[in-house]
Amino acid sequence: MTDREDRLRSLLDKVRAKRPGERETHAAEAVDRLRAGSGNLAAAAPAAPLSDPPTSPQIESPTRYSSQPPRVERPLSVEPRARSSAPPSQPALAASPTQRPAAIRPQSVAPTGQPVVYATEQPEFPRPKTFGELLELTLSLRPR
Amino acid sequence: MHDGRFDPGGFYEFNLNGGMIRTRNGERVVVLSEDVLSSLVAAAARDGDLTPLRRLGELLGEQALASLDRPASVLSAEAVLGHVSAVTALFGWGRAGFERWGSALVVTLRDKPELDEDELGAAALLGGMFSEISRRQVSCVPTGESKFIMVDFEVAETVWGWFKDGADLPAIIGMLEAKRAS
Repeated sequence: MTDREDRLRSLLDKVRAKRPGERETHAAEAVDRLRAGSGNLAAAAPAAPLSDPPTSPQIESPTRYSSQPPRVERPLSVEPRARSSAPPSQPALAASPTQRPAAIRPQSVAPTGQPVVYATEQPEFPRPKTFGELLELTLSLRPR
Repeated sequence: MHDGRFDPGGFYEFNLNGGMIRTRNGERVVVLSEDVLSSLVAAAARDGDLTPLRRLGELLGEQALASLDRPASVLSAEAVLGHVSAVTALFGWGRAGFERWGSALVVTLRDKPELDEDELGAAALLGGMFSEISRRQVSCVPTGESKFIMVDFEVAETVWGWFKDGADLPAIIGMLEAKRAS
């Protein structure tokens, strides 16, 4: 059912409510004529939009959001040999659109207990506070 | 030293012939049962003099400091906590932890000996320990549930009064504000 047909039905219902039986026939016939005209009420209706009657109530329907999980085309754990199928000279991004993206791999792995050294740029996340800085903060607390 | 982690190996030296126990730093220690210690601490709390427990905390702090390869102030909180919790565990004082509540640093001491109801014994111990580690006058004020807010020595009495009046930890922190230390 289209929006325009909905409106007409709504209008018809109001007319029925105001004058039961009197206008019902005419309004129903109008709807039937429109529907019979092309089989598509929206297409048969005039181009100008129908204005709602002054007494038309506002339709308050809640906006519903449905969360859909992203389409997973393959498991997150991929076989390591998937990347070696492409020729070495061909960049990964130049592959065909249907080719699956390369597996996400860590760029560097720090030895246990050793800090990661950022050679080119600072990390994006803020540096964690040292114990001394935390101590300064807490010792600066005073009653308001 | 030792990749920055606390090494508990050889921490105690048992001299059975001499009847002595020493830490690896040479400090002589005595093993006490929890019941005996509890009585002593309760009496000290009643008298309002917890200096011996604070002194014991300072000794624990010295043990932790001796195991650090750098000043505690430049280390991460995790690194300091690793040494602190190791020392408290070796002395049977429970599991130490840190919590950060806004600007406040809160020390937790789980599974500690049950000494006094107000936890003032543990508070004195922690105050002495962190004063030694930080080289500052630090107080750890009990705020219930084995949590101790670390504050400046001068405001400890005020914070303790708030807690005794019924304020919980979030309320206490809400009544404090960070001001630049002079």
